[in-house]
Amino acid sequence: MEALKDFFRKDLVQYIIKRILMFIPTLLLISVLVFFVIQLPPGDYVSAQISALASEGELVDADYAAAMRADYGLDLPVWQQYVKWIKDIIWTPTDSPYYRLYHSHHNWKYSFAYGRDVWSVVNERLGLTIAVTGIIMIFQYLVSIPIAVYASTHQYSAGDYISSIIGFLGTAIPNFILAIVLMYLSYKWTGSANVGLFSQEMLKNGVHLYNFGEFMKRMIIPIIVIGTSGTCGIIRSVRAQMLDEVARQYTLTARAKGVSEGKIVMKYCFRAAMNPTVSGLGGVLSSLFSGSTVTAMVLNMQIQGPVLFKALQSQDMYLAGAIVMVQAVLVVIGILLSDIALAFLDPRIRYSGGGR
Amino acid sequence: MEKENIIEVKDLHVDIKMLEGLLTPVRGVNFEIKKGETLGLVGESGCGKSITCKAILGINDKKCVPHGKIDFRTVDDKEIDLLSLDPKGKEIRDIRGKQISMIFQEPMVAFSPMYTIGNQINEATLLHITKDKKKAKEISMEVMRKVGIANVEKRYNQYPHEFSGGMLQRALIAMALVCNPKLLIADEPTTALDVTIQAQILELMKELQKEFNMAILFITHDLGVVAKMCDRVAVMYLGRIVESGDAETIYANPQHPYTRGLMGSVHKIGGKKDERLFSIEGTVPLAMNLPKACGFYDRCDARIEGLCDKAEPDLVEIEPGHQIACFNCPNAACQAQRAAAEARIKEEEARAAAEETEDKKGGKKRGKR
Amino acid sequence: MAKKKTKEDYYLASQWTLMARKLKKHKLAKVSFIILAILYIAALFADFLAPYGLEDFDGLYKNSAPVQIHTVYEGENVGPYIYKLTKTINKTDFTITMSEDTSEYYKIKFFVHGVPYKIFGLLPCDLHLFGVSDGSKGGTGAKIFLFGADSLGRDIFSRVLLGARISLTIPFASAIISFFLGIAIGSVSGYFGGVIDIVIQRIIEVIGAVPQIPLWMALSAAIPPGISTIKMYFYMTLILSFINWTGMARVVRGKFLSLKNEDYVMAARLSGVSTWKIIWKHLVPGFMSYLIVSMTLGIPGSIVGETSMSYLGLGIKSPATSWGVLLQEASSVTDVASRPHKLIPIIFVTITVLAFNFLGDGLRDAADPYK
Repeated sequence: MEALKDFFRKDLVQYIIKRILMFIPTLLLISVLVFFVIQLPPGDYVSAQISALASEGELVDADYAAAMRADYGLDLPVWQQYVKWIKDIIWTPTDSPYYRLYHSHHNWKYSFAYGRDVWSVVNERLGLTIAVTGIIMIFQYLVSIPIAVYASTHQYSAGDYISSIIGFLGTAIPNFILAIVLMYLSYKWTGSANVGLFSQEMLKNGVHLYNFGEFMKRMIIPIIVIGTSGTCGIIRSVRAQMLDEVARQYTLTARAKGVSEGKIVMKYCFRAAMNPTVSGLGGVLSSLFSGSTVTAMVLNMQIQGPVLFKALQSQDMYLAGAIVMVQAVLVVIGILLSDIALAFLDPRIRYSGGGR
Repeated sequence: MEKENIIEVKDLHVDIKMLEGLLTPVRGVNFEIKKGETLGLVGESGCGKSITCKAILGINDKKCVPHGKIDFRTVDDKEIDLLSLDPKGKEIRDIRGKQISMIFQEPMVAFSPMYTIGNQINEATLLHITKDKKKAKEISMEVMRKVGIANVEKRYNQYPHEFSGGMLQRALIAMALVCNPKLLIADEPTTALDVTIQAQILELMKELQKEFNMAILFITHDLGVVAKMCDRVAVMYLGRIVESGDAETIYANPQHPYTRGLMGSVHKIGGKKDERLFSIEGTVPLAMNLPKACGFYDRCDARIEGLCDKAEPDLVEIEPGHQIACFNCPNAACQAQRAAAEARIKEEEARAAAEETEDKKGGKKRGKR
Repeated sequence: MAKKKTKEDYYLASQWTLMARKLKKHKLAKVSFIILAILYIAALFADFLAPYGLEDFDGLYKNSAPVQIHTVYEGENVGPYIYKLTKTINKTDFTITMSEDTSEYYKIKFFVHGVPYKIFGLLPCDLHLFGVSDGSKGGTGAKIFLFGADSLGRDIFSRVLLGARISLTIPFASAIISFFLGIAIGSVSGYFGGVIDIVIQRIIEVIGAVPQIPLWMALSAAIPPGISTIKMYFYMTLILSFINWTGMARVVRGKFLSLKNEDYVMAARLSGVSTWKIIWKHLVPGFMSYLIVSMTLGIPGSIVGETSMSYLGLGIKSPATSWGVLLQEASSVTDVASRPHKLIPIIFVTITVLAFNFLGDGLRDAADPYK
């Protein structure tokens, strides 16, 4: 009840609105960054792609090429190209050629590598990418927080040392390398490398409740590979936070009051240590996308990593840019959510209304 | 009018094992506090006063190992040695906050920023007085009112960062007093506050002491505060008490060179206009691998070469209720101690000399062989 | 009185001496520093330490396992030697097996003349630390492949050493670029404040939000195809710096803001010291140690980035070689399962990353004046 009452406090609502408004310039800056990346390869984008197609024996007629050039705005100055790109993404009118072709008001341009509109390629694996990332993230927090609390309350114990060593190894070993090693071990022990997220049967019938177990089994290696470095990172930071909090004066006050050690750790230290953990959520999400990109290629997972790779190999920049942008936006949404969560968790932010 | 002692600290030592060696911040402290009395524990920072009072509650860091005896007379008139209790156990937790409570130096960091003031005060009430939440809240609010917090209904639900320093200290006092303790340990409760607020808080503590009839162990380095608050004073230096007695006696007639130094460093109204404040040279040495000497030797202006750097004086009574630990005092008890120490040093030196010649002879013999 | 002297020493010692002293006490950091020093020195003298050149191959040795070193030949101790490999084809199922040809032995020799190279790219030389002599019966062509060979029959040991020159220096070079970029942008942000500060902070936030490896990969699209090794090296360094400077700039800005209001800066200002001098004499030394820590801690990420990208073929490409390029050999499960020696470069990547992490941690502890 109290939390609910808190929610409707005017300053908290104001804080959240302020946060959401700050989200808009961030989005714009991301789009500028992505557009910069798209413009990186030298030369005229459409001509380059068309000549690449021609070298593979696929000829494109001149009218089509001209229409393409107009759609990309290639004859405009760079900044107008950017404005057109953004405008088309936000709203493409019904009478445009793009809408007639793809029946979508959001023109993310055309992927030459896939021969389709960019958004359909991105969208195809978006759900699974979010699902896989989400599952791994949940596992990370479920595993790392109890370990960190244990390690911090049993500082310098054997368990603390072991978790510290594993933590260091986990953050140090690049995860695609871990993927190769685990694949090798899986192959050696079970005779199958357990590659790919779906069995043949799942590809045919889709993932349902009855074969969800099989799906989760295939998630084991990705969870370990992609999750490990983040898990170790969270363990290290939560442990350090907890140790920081345990040394604070208010634990002494609580102890002098007669509060038990367990309650001091859980009510005071853990609660305070959760704030930086929650505010680290955006970073965790970002490193998950980062880690999963290369790993997905090694493990042949049906998420966006391999698509990005294929796009970059053929310099299909608008597709690559769209994927980078979608991931960045997801991270920023994660940061936004963690900021709002933090406003609930930390009374100091709640009342001062200030940012971090 | 002999009053009963509420607490007796006997030969308290605290050791801290460090990589560099053994740190001994408290080295044999003795004092007692009577019911309803205020004892001032005075000394520079680093002399071990905070560690002493935390040792009473058993809330020192794990690394601190106390030994000695701390006899506490509980509400039901039993005597328990607090040091014999498990510092994490239920028994001592029932004493903490309920029979002995403590207020801290910096009220700004003594509260957790995550919970409301009311929640944190009420925690003690719920732990020690009643499990009934409604009743507990009433009790907590009543105490908050008593310590002079206005608008308690609103203040109860506010967070520490919405309080001023003085208000927080009042809240901290409320938290300490909510269970009506028999002994209050106040660890420099006013050092972090403005002077005007200081006076208010001290006044408040005095009033509450009368009302609750509790004993106070008042830790400070501010002699002005001591004069205002305390019945008796114990001066601590380098982990030991060097002088103790009634506040008036010590103010009128300080005997230990260190106490005299402290007194000299206080502003006096009506003193000479361009008189310089006296200051004691140097700093408190680190309490590690201490030599067998008077701790104050390096900084003392009344040291006796060849004695004070070779022996450490014990606390002796020079007049009823007034004790000092110093060789250089005309009082008979001190002189007796001095004579004994000198004799012992002479004896030791003679023995050492004898051993050395023996060694030399032995060495020669071995050399010849 | 010796104790007193060390104490005085302690108070008078400069920040750097104190840091060095504390770092020496940090055992893990010390060991890491030694390991890194060995690795970098090995990379510096890679041509000499590697028995073969980058592109030397021997078709006979394709995918061969690490060489076995023996000492006793027919009951007689002849010192360390190896055998040559022979290929036997099973006539029935046409499987190829490699085995040691024990008919003659090839002694391992030190300081042998071999593939010519130039010391530091200047002095021509052909001396190598070790190699094999001709066989005891006059045979030739035995190869000492300590870590085995890749699919073209190239020596993995030599390639690890020679690849280290790129893998170890790109992150370092990019750290130095980030260092200067970070100081420049961070101090502008912290010093001018206002709108400039807000804009720069937003940009840093955005770059920080974009997942690193995908962004690096996308930036690699800027590398034109078919360019020289040196240019490729240059591009990779820039791409890695593109993200790393943000962390540095944040540190600089934060320190600028907090130190600007410190009493000692105020004191300097009041006594008439110029702004420029305040920045360089008072502010920068105040956070230099933090910058070096932040630089060190940024290096492991760059190593992983370079390795990942080169592994995918988006970074360093053949003929240039880095550890990531070497790991391309280990991309399929069957390859790894039948020839685990191809995972050896992983050990080097991991050790380097770990060592930089530990060194960074040690430096951070040492730079913290309150520890």
